Amino acid sequence: MAKEVFMPKLSSTMETGTILQWMKNEGDPVEMGEPVFEVMSDKINIEVEAYEEGFMLKKYYNVDDVVPVNTVVGYIGEKEENVPDTPPESTEDSESDAASEPEQNEPAAHGTESSSVRQVERGQIRATPAARRVAREEEVSLSDVTGSGPKQRVQQQDVRDFLQNAPKPPKATPLARKWAEDQNVDLNTVEGSGPVNKIYTKDLSAAQEETVSSEPDRIPVKGVRKVVADRMAESASTVPHVTLNSDVDMTEAIRLRSQIQDKVVEQTGSKLSYTEIIMKAVAAALKRHPSINASLSSDQQEILLHRDINIGLAVATEQGLVVPVVPSAGEKGLTALVKESKQLAADARNQQLNPQQMQGGTFTISNLGMYAVDGFTPIINQPEAAILGVGQMKETPTARNGNVELRPLTTFSLSFDHRIVDGAPAAAFLTELKQMLEAPYELLM
Amino acid sequence: MHNYDIIIIGSGPGGYTAALRAANEGKKTAVVEDRKIGGTCLHRGCIPSKTMLQHAEVLHQVEGSAAWGIETGDVSFSYTAMLERKEKVVSQLEAGITALMKKGKIDVFPGRGSVNNEKEVTVEKEGQTERLQAPAVIAAAGTSPFVPPVSGLRETAHFTSDTIFEKRELPSSLLIVGGGIVGVEYACLFAGLHVDVTIVEMQEDILTGEDKDASALLRRSLEKQGVTVETGAALHDVQTKKQKAVTVVYTRKDGSREEIDVDDVLVTAGRKPNNAVLEDTSVQYVDGFVRVNENMETSVTGLYTIGDLAAGGWKLAHAASAEGITAVEHACGLKPSIHKSLIPRCIYTFPEIAAVGMTEEEVQQRGYDYKTELIPLQGNGKAMAMEVSDGFTKIIVEKKHGEILGAVLAGPHVTEMIGEPAAYIHLEGTVDELASMVHPHPTLLESLYEAARSWIGKGIHH
Repeated sequence: MAKEVFMPKLSSTMETGTILQWMKNEGDPVEMGEPVFEVMSDKINIEVEAYEEGFMLKKYYNVDDVVPVNTVVGYIGEKEENVPDTPPESTEDSESDAASEPEQNEPAAHGTESSSVRQVERGQIRATPAARRVAREEEVSLSDVTGSGPKQRVQQQDVRDFLQNAPKPPKATPLARKWAEDQNVDLNTVEGSGPVNKIYTKDLSAAQEETVSSEPDRIPVKGVRKVVADRMAESASTVPHVTLNSDVDMTEAIRLRSQIQDKVVEQTGSKLSYTEIIMKAVAAALKRHPSINASLSSDQQEILLHRDINIGLAVATEQGLVVPVVPSAGEKGLTALVKESKQLAADARNQQLNPQQMQGGTFTISNLGMYAVDGFTPIINQPEAAILGVGQMKETPTARNGNVELRPLTTFSLSFDHRIVDGAPAAAFLTELKQMLEAPYELLM
Repeated sequence: MHNYDIIIIGSGPGGYTAALRAANEGKKTAVVEDRKIGGTCLHRGCIPSKTMLQHAEVLHQVEGSAAWGIETGDVSFSYTAMLERKEKVVSQLEAGITALMKKGKIDVFPGRGSVNNEKEVTVEKEGQTERLQAPAVIAAAGTSPFVPPVSGLRETAHFTSDTIFEKRELPSSLLIVGGGIVGVEYACLFAGLHVDVTIVEMQEDILTGEDKDASALLRRSLEKQGVTVETGAALHDVQTKKQKAVTVVYTRKDGSREEIDVDDVLVTAGRKPNNAVLEDTSVQYVDGFVRVNENMETSVTGLYTIGDLAAGGWKLAHAASAEGITAVEHACGLKPSIHKSLIPRCIYTFPEIAAVGMTEEEVQQRGYDYKTELIPLQGNGKAMAMEVSDGFTKIIVEKKHGEILGAVLAGPHVTEMIGEPAAYIHLEGTVDELASMVHPHPTLLESLYEAARSWIGKGIHH
């Protein structure tokens, strides 16, 4: 009988997963342990492996589809077996099973008993179901076990051998664990001074003093870092970028901000920042320049002119760059923009964004104005057509009506994808944006 | 010459603890004591004052209990009977320590001890001398009350914490010189027994060095109890002019001059080290206290100093005990079994104040990125049941890892509760663990849990 392939629940907070790629097409033979598809959660990318041998009978979702956890995404079974044309409703049972399953460090078998797949951390652990069961029961991380089976697959006996030989994990105080994680100290290398060699923070500083070396710190490229790395490399190498710079006189924008600041604070509890004024102006300018609010279709055969104006905001977090999206920014007033962008930025910094909040962007703003940066060449957030970089506001001597005056200028840098749009329309958009910000009262109308 | 493994001069909480620990290691141990076994803590400090404070607290509760429907008729008390009970408590504890010494086969030499660089100890009693020697000697001679050089004070009859309970009648008015820990405790005790108390403190605040929120709360509370608190004040003159009254002249903070007559004067203006014990040695001093290393060893190998005599560290009974254990274990070549760096601080006032770890001022000075959370006891169910209005729980937490840097509790019996935040700091639990631990209801200690939850942004009631 055909077995379901489920969208795995990889963490207690995960509600949906995004399919990054299918490794198998419908009709392809599938061996046990082979990766079937790759999924991205808000935290991690995981390859999902087949639990069964057979053929890929059905795939219900495409790449980039966002699928709720424990949803059937496909079937593996015998050739010619019948499977439903549409994904079956996930049953109450499977939901409650998954929900009651404790979160585990080790991505072990999740989902229901009949699930035909298991998840494997990208390109790593291959293990037999029996090995996984023992590992789960004994709380062993499979990544620590050397597999003796074919393709280094971990067998049950490997886990048992590991348990016999493994040194007990080091005992450490909660504070010492946080320090170690923060400072990238391997607790196994630290000698604890407490009872039963428990590690205290002072032991960490002693260990660090001992191991001062010229070796660089090594940080694995994974999670958000991996996503940023891949997307930036792809965009920079495939998209013909052109960057246009323009200095915008922010005098009137400053005045507007100070005049309505109190009202905004009263209504939203948050302060109006230039980012939101710029976002409002960008949305208005995009309305008049639809060719910029565009993207390239995935087969690169069509240009998509978007009706909605969904503006992404580049936010720096401890984990790396994320771009939450303010949907329908063109339809929203300043107070709504303030509320939403403040909330999104806070969620981003607290790692509480869900994947939907980072999707559907049609244009991105990257504001580095809080730093000593005048202008820069932002890299386009694919598949969007353009991105706006915003530099610092700086008192600059400016020629005005035959005199030199000090005016607060900000350099706006617009990078556009020359495959989608040409220089003239991009320049027209940037000019319009500049004019809007220099006479921003029309934004309020 | 009697030979020992370890000789300890002084049998206060530092000395007797060290002696018991040494005996426990099978060491031939001697203790030299020129007064009673138990030292200042047992006879002239912690235990007598806490027993008398207990009396004052119960009296206060009985007097206030009519509002709770408890009918007692007129309430009166006997100060003499209170003193007698205090003496009974002290003698019971003294008997207990003496029995423990006996059990540990510790020889007690009554007399005044002193030591030299060769670690020979001379014991003098009524003209007789005995000589003892050991490879390790621990000087635990403690401190004595310091009487500041104020005009007339040293010549006028006054009391210190050593002598205050020698007088068997309660004064009707009392001037306390110094608003430190000892001063405020006696102020609460005597105000509780209806004595008219005035505190004159030179510093800008009472309890300098302790948490500012706590000292402000205590000041309000003292004033509510009828105590006159004069801070930033200078004492000028103390004279016996009239029959049975002492006239005290001081300048208030605002510069105005005040002259008051009081029955008695109690001096709690700090303590001076009993350094005579080390006169024949070459130990080094820091600001009058003996310089020691982390093992409590002085610059003379094998000669240790613990407790109030030693420079650095808190001048508290339990600090002295911890230092005594440290010194003995070092002398025995053992790894220290106690961490003496974390010393809870307890002030037995109404309300009590207990603190552990760093104060907020210290945290600021050290440049920590921190956030505090202060939860008042008002609104706490147990506090309401107890009719407590003054008190709070405050935690000082480093932002990055949630490390608990300090905690301050103010309220009834909080000295019993400071152990919980102390345990968190000692075991390096962070604010996250504190916030995730279920606390019993209703208790005053729930406020600690509330503070932690509130700190992590997941407060239930706050």
